[in-house]
This record gives sequence, C-alpha cells and structure tokens, in this order.
Amino acid sequence: MELSEYVQSGLQILADSGCFSPSAYTVLLQTAFQSLLNAQADQVALDHPVLKHIDPTVLKHCHAAAATCILEAGKHKADKSTISTYLEDCKFDRERIEQFCTEYQKNKDTLEIILGSIGRCPLHVTDVSWRLEYQIKTNQLHKTYRPAYLVTLNVENSDSRSHPDVSFSCTMEQLQDLVGKLKDAAKSLERASQM
Amino acid sequence: MLLVLSEEHKEHLGFLTQVDSAVVGEFGRIAVEFLRKGTNPKIYEGAARKLNVSSDIIQHGVEGLTYLLTEGSKLMISEIDFQDSVLVLGFSEELNKLLLQLYLDNRKEIRSILGELAPKLPSYHSLEWRLDVQLASRSLRQQIKPAVTIKLHLDQNGDQTTKILQTDPATLLHLIQQLEQALGEMKTNHCRRIVRNIK
Repeated sequence: MELSEYVQSGLQILADSGCFSPSAYTVLLQTAFQSLLNAQADQVALDHPVLKHIDPTVLKHCHAAAATCILEAGKHKADKSTISTYLEDCKFDRERIEQFCTEYQKNKDTLEIILGSIGRCPLHVTDVSWRLEYQIKTNQLHKTYRPAYLVTLNVENSDSRSHPDVSFSCTMEQLQDLVGKLKDAAKSLERASQM
Repeated sequence: MLLVLSEEHKEHLGFLTQVDSAVVGEFGRIAVEFLRKGTNPKIYEGAARKLNVSSDIIQHGVEGLTYLLTEGSKLMISEIDFQDSVLVLGFSEELNKLLLQLYLDNRKEIRSILGELAPKLPSYHSLEWRLDVQLASRSLRQQIKPAVTIKLHLDQNGDQTTKILQTDPATLLHLIQQLEQALGEMKTNHCRRIVRNIK
C-alpha cells in the first residue's frame, strides 16, 4: 500500500496517544468507517464530546487520512498483515492496530460492494415488463387479427440519471428468437462458471 | 359487405369500358406500382398520348382503380362481395372478371402495404450478446464480476437503431423467466378463446 505524505502524517498523529486518547481514537476510527459506508452520513459527526478538545484542523486531517487508508486497503483487497505492517510503520501500537483491523474486517464486505459499484457501464437492464395484445384493425387496414407483444426493458444509468426505458414491439416469432438468444447467453454463462 | 362507390368514382371508372382489357390490365399494374413506390405523373402523360385522351382522364381512371383495390383489400371483402360491388358499374362480363382477378392477385401485397401505415413503435429486429467478466476498475482491484453485454437491433420506420445494454446473470435469468411467461400466455385457454372467436 502506498499512501501520500499527507495521509502518512495524518496517521502518525492518530497513532499518538498524546493527541488522541484511546476513546478519541475509537470514536474517530468508527466515524471514518461510517462516513464511507453510510450513505446518509452527509455531515460527518466529528463533533463527538470526546473529540472536542482536539483542534478541528487536526481532526479533519486525521479523519481524511484514516478514510484514505481504509479506501486503499479496500481497493487492493489488502489482508491483515499488509494493513498491520503499514500501520506499524506509522507508529501505531499493537492495540490500535488490532482495533483498526477488527473494524476493517467487520466492514470489509460492504466496502467492497461500494467500491465495486463505482464506475461506468452501458445502460443496465434491471427489469422487463411486457404486454400481449391482439390487433383487430387500424384505420387503414381492417381485420388484421394478429397477436403482438410490447416489451419494455427497464433501464438504469450508472450516473443514476434517469433514462427512458427501451420499448419495442415484436411478434411471437420474434419474441421466441429473443428468448432463445438470451437462453444461449445464460447457458454459456453457466458453462463459463463451471470452468 | 359491399363497397359503396360515389358517383364521381363511378364516372372515373367509366373510362375503363372505353379501352380494351390489355389496357385495363396495364392500369392495374400501374396502380399497384404507385402503391408500392408513389405516383409518377409522367406515366399518365405517356398513356394519355398513346390513347389520345387527356391525362386527367387517365389519372382518374388509375386512381379509381386504385381506390377500388385498396378499399377492397382494407376491408378484406370476399370474392362475391367484390363482384356484387362492381356489378353496379354495369361493366361487361369480361371486365368484371378482369377486375376481380386484379383484386385477388394483389390483395395480399396491398394489405401488407396498408399495414405499414399503422402507428408503430420500434420493433425488434435481432439481438447479439457477449459475455464479459470485469476483472478490475479504478476503484476496486481483483474482481470477478460477470456481465452480459447485449446489442439490441430495432427497426423504426425503416431506420435501424441499435441499443447497447448490459445486465448481470441474475437479471438475465429473471428476464428469461418473465419473457417465457409472456410467450406462454398465447397458449392459455383465455387467449385461445379470443383468437377463435374474433373473426
């Protein structure tokens, strides 16, 4: 794991029990995790009474450093020994390292999910709805008498900008073709997962 | 159901009695060609010169014939109804037979042309798919994230559009299940009864 000077110095301050008492450390650590994982945490709660006597600039520095460290660890799927070694180099004592790693272990899966969901992708299909109709006539042509399907693919944009759904009509044969091709894709997925 | 022809229409068609059956056949061919590709006034002028009448008369004759054919095709009237509708014009036996033949020969094609005029949504053309596995991104390394990328080809009013979409394995299975249910609907008793009874 390689982190910047700014992050390293922040972590070193965090390691210092002169600046951060054990309870202050615990609170800051938990706050750092919460601010990353909790979508509602717009305002980071750095105004906990235990942290009151610490200079706000220092608090922000250490909080940012801790959050960056957590993100880097998550990004590289770092194991316990990698994290421990890095924190040791930042002068963390055994106990604080243990605490960090326990907290990290607890939140690792959520962190990975969040990191994995960041990124661009083509319009993502989330659902499908369909309608079956029986056409009887149009103003230009009577007695048409044929079934038709209207299919709508519900689609999500990765930037969560809403995107109009993709709708199209098709005959029964066309729908069979569509479903057949999707089934081919599913079969090949299954085969690939067994390799 | 009989076709009801207006006086003006009957008058226009009246011209057909003054020419021989080969010409009527030719007019029929022109009428269908115009339905396929649009009208071409130059044809009227050429025919007018050959037959020594004004091009207006030719135009009315062809248009009258076109209307006869399209109305009949639109309503899908039976042979007998078509014959009875044409009887009213007082044409010769031979001309009536010719008109009926014209109608029957071209009905299917005319109906398919008329079908294109209906309001339409983009319609399915075809689909291509590709299996991808995401291995890493800027924000997370060492991933194994399978995805299916789909290229959906749609037709709208003659233009082909393409949409690129992606989905995950679970959603893919869900889509297949839902659409198979959709296909199954046509086979239910309810739908079968409707198809049988609406004629």
